[in-house]
Amino acid sequence: MTTSVSVPPGPETSAPAEHSARWRSRLDGAATPTRLRLLLALLVLLSLGWGVLAALTADQHASAAADVVAVSEPLSLDAEQIFTKLSDADATAASAFLAGGLEPAQARQRYQADITEAAIRIQAASALVGSSAARTQLPGHLARQASGTSTAVGDDLATLSGQLPVYTGEVGTARADNRLGLPLGAAYLREASTLLRETLLPAARDINTRESALLTSASAQATGLPLLVVTVVVGLGIGYVFFRSGRWLARQTHRVVNYGLLAAALVGLVSLVWLAGAFAVGRGDLLHAQQQGSGPAQAFARAEVAALQAHADESLTLIDNSGDDAYQQDYVAQQKRLGPGPGTLLAQVQAPAGKPGSDAVAEARAWYQAHAALRAKDNAGSHADAVQSALTGDAATRFASLSATLSDGVDAHQAVFASSARNGRDAFTGLAVGMIVASLVMVVGCAWGLSRRLAEYR
Amino acid sequence: MNARPWRQGRRALLVLLASGALVLGGVAAAAAPGTPARPSAARAPGVVRAAAADSCDPKASSLRPSGPPQVTPGSFMAKIRARGYLIAGVDQSTYHFGFLNPLSGQIEGFDIDMIRAVANAIFGDPGKVHFKAISDEQRIPDVMHGTVDIVAHTMTITCDRLQKIDFSSVYFDAAQRVLVLNDSTATSLDSLHGQKVCATSGSDSGDRILQHKAVLVKVPYWTDCLVLLQQGDVAAISTDDSILDGLAAQDPWTKLVGPRLTDEPYGLAISKQHPEFVRFVNAVLQQLRTDGQWAASYRQWIGAPAPKPPAAQYGG
Repeated sequence: MTTSVSVPPGPETSAPAEHSARWRSRLDGAATPTRLRLLLALLVLLSLGWGVLAALTADQHASAAADVVAVSEPLSLDAEQIFTKLSDADATAASAFLAGGLEPAQARQRYQADITEAAIRIQAASALVGSSAARTQLPGHLARQASGTSTAVGDDLATLSGQLPVYTGEVGTARADNRLGLPLGAAYLREASTLLRETLLPAARDINTRESALLTSASAQATGLPLLVVTVVVGLGIGYVFFRSGRWLARQTHRVVNYGLLAAALVGLVSLVWLAGAFAVGRGDLLHAQQQGSGPAQAFARAEVAALQAHADESLTLIDNSGDDAYQQDYVAQQKRLGPGPGTLLAQVQAPAGKPGSDAVAEARAWYQAHAALRAKDNAGSHADAVQSALTGDAATRFASLSATLSDGVDAHQAVFASSARNGRDAFTGLAVGMIVASLVMVVGCAWGLSRRLAEYR
Repeated sequence: MNARPWRQGRRALLVLLASGALVLGGVAAAAAPGTPARPSAARAPGVVRAAAADSCDPKASSLRPSGPPQVTPGSFMAKIRARGYLIAGVDQSTYHFGFLNPLSGQIEGFDIDMIRAVANAIFGDPGKVHFKAISDEQRIPDVMHGTVDIVAHTMTITCDRLQKIDFSSVYFDAAQRVLVLNDSTATSLDSLHGQKVCATSGSDSGDRILQHKAVLVKVPYWTDCLVLLQQGDVAAISTDDSILDGLAAQDPWTKLVGPRLTDEPYGLAISKQHPEFVRFVNAVLQQLRTDGQWAASYRQWIGAPAPKPPAAQYGG
C-alpha cells in the first residue's frame, strides 16, 4: 500500500516491500526513543517536501495566470486594437475622399482618433514587450516561447512605429492635394492604402497571432491538470503516512491522540484543500475567460476587421473607379471570409455569442445587398448615386450597424475576459507562500507532538 | 531600417519585366524599322507590321461624315437615345483632360468636353452622359466588349489599335516628351539612359522609353508616376506632353524637357461595329472645329492662345 504511493522522501515509501519489512523489524527492535527520533525525522522531511512541492505547483500556475493577465492579454488586446484602428483609419480616410469638396469634420476626427489610438497602443505594446519582466519567471518551455515571441513581436512593433508616420504623411499629402483640387491626391491615397494593407496590417496581424498563441499556451499552463494531480496524490500519500504514524504512536504510547501530530495533519489537509480549491476556482475562471471572453472577442475582432477592409474596398472602388476592379475583387474576397456560412468568420461569431452573432449575420446580409445595389448603380454609370449610398445612404447605414454590432461584441467579450482572467489570477494569490507556511506549521506540530513523547523517556 | 520592402519587391519585378520587354522591343524594332515596336506583339512582327504600315495612316484612318450630325432611325445613335444616356469611358486622373475634380466631385477636362458635345448632339443635352472612369489598359477591351459607347482618354490613334477598334478623326495633336524635377540635369530621354522612367501599363509611351534604353517602371495611373517622381523613386516620367502638362500643373517643381519624340494624334475610340456612330462623332468634331467650341475648350483647359484645331482627314 504505502509502496504504491510514489513519495520520494522517506525510507518507508521508497523501499520495496521486503525492504520495508526489514526496516520495520529494525524499528521494532530498536529502542523506543530512537524509533521516535526516526519518525520525527521522517515526518519533518515529509512536511518540508510537501511544502516545496505544493509551493512549486502553486507558483507554476500562478505565474502562468499572472502572465495571462499582465502580458499576454494586454498584448493581444493591443495588437487587436492596432489592427482594428488602422483598418478603420483606412476605411475612414477613403470615405472622407469620396465626400468630394471638403472632407467631413466627423470623418477627419475619426481618422485622427484612430491614428492616435493606434500610436498609443503601439507604444504600450512596445513598453510591455521591452520590459516583459513578468515573463522571466515563466516555466521553462513557456519562457522559451515567450522570448521567441518577444523578438518577433519587437520587429513587428518596430515596423509599425516606423511606417505609421510614413502612412500618415501620405494621407496628409493626399489631403493637401485634394484641397487644391488636384487628382494627385487620389494617387497618394492609393499609395497610403497600399502601404497600410501590405506592411502595417500584416505586422499587426502577426503580433496578434503570436500573442494569441502565447495566451493560449499560458492559459493551458495555468489550467493544466497533470502537475496538480501528481501533487494531490503525493499530498494524500503524505496524509496516509501521518495517519499510520498516529496509529503507531497511539499503540506505542497508549495515548489516543497526539495533538501535535493531529494539528500537523490537519494543517496539511487544509493546505491540500486550499491548493486544490484555488486551482479549481482559478482554472474555472481562466477557462471561462477563454471560452466566453478571449475566444469570442477574437472572433468578433476578426470579423470586424474583415468588414472594415471590405468597407474601405467599397470606398476605394468608387474613388479609383477605374475599371481595374482590384478593390472590388478584394471586397468579394473579404465578403467570402466574413460569411455567413460554414467556416466563415461570422459563423465563428455566431457559434458562442447568441444574439449579437445573429444580429451581425442579418446586418451583414443587409449590407451585402446594399453594396450590390451600390455596385449596380455605379456600373450603370450613376456614380454620384453610388457615392451617395456609400457616404450617407443605404450602404453606409447598413455598414455602420454591422460595424457597431461587431465592435460591441469585441468590447463585451473583452470585458468578460478581463474580469474572469483577473479572478482566475487572484485565486492563486498567496497560494505559494501559504503552502510554505503550512509546511512549517506542520514541522512545528510534529516536533512539538513527538518531543513531548520523547521527553517522557528522559 | 529598410523602408517598404514590398514596394522594392514590386519595383524589382517591374524592372525585371521591363528589361525582358527591352529585349523583345529591340528585336521587334530591328525586325520592322520605322514602325513603333510593340513588345507585347510576339507574333511575327516583321510581316504583319510591314503590311499594316503600308496601308495605314493613323491620322487619315477615320470615316467621312455625311453632313451635320443626325440621329438616323435604327442607328446606334438612336439606340443610345432610347437608352437615355451616353456611356463614355474616360480618364479620371489626367489633369486638364479627364480628371475627377475633388472639389466638385465631377469629372472634367478637354476630353470630357468632346464627350459632352457628342451627348449634346444626340440628346440636345450635354448632361446625359454616364462617365465610366477606366484605366489605360481597360480602354480597348471596354470598347470592343461594348461596355462603353465611346472612349475619350488621351488615346493615340495607332495602326495596331486600328486593327481592333475604330477612331474618330484627330481632335488633338500631342507628342511624347519627358518630365523631370526642376533640379534634374536630364535634357532628353537619351540622357536618362539606364535610369528609371515611369509610364502607365496600358500606354504606348513605355515602348519609346525602352527604345531609349531607360528602365521602365509601370504603374496604373499617371498620377502614380508623379507620386513616384516626388518620392524620388523614378528619375523621370515620359509620355504625351498633354498629360505631362497636367502633371506639371500639379507640381511646380517639375519641368518638361527634350524634343517632341513622337506624333501622338488623339482620337475618340469607338467599336468597329458602329461605323455610323464614327461618322456621327466626326460630324460633331467638325462642328466643334468650326464653331469655336474646340478653341474655347482648349483655352479653358490647356491655355491661351488656342492653335488651329487639327484638320480632319479621312480614310474612307
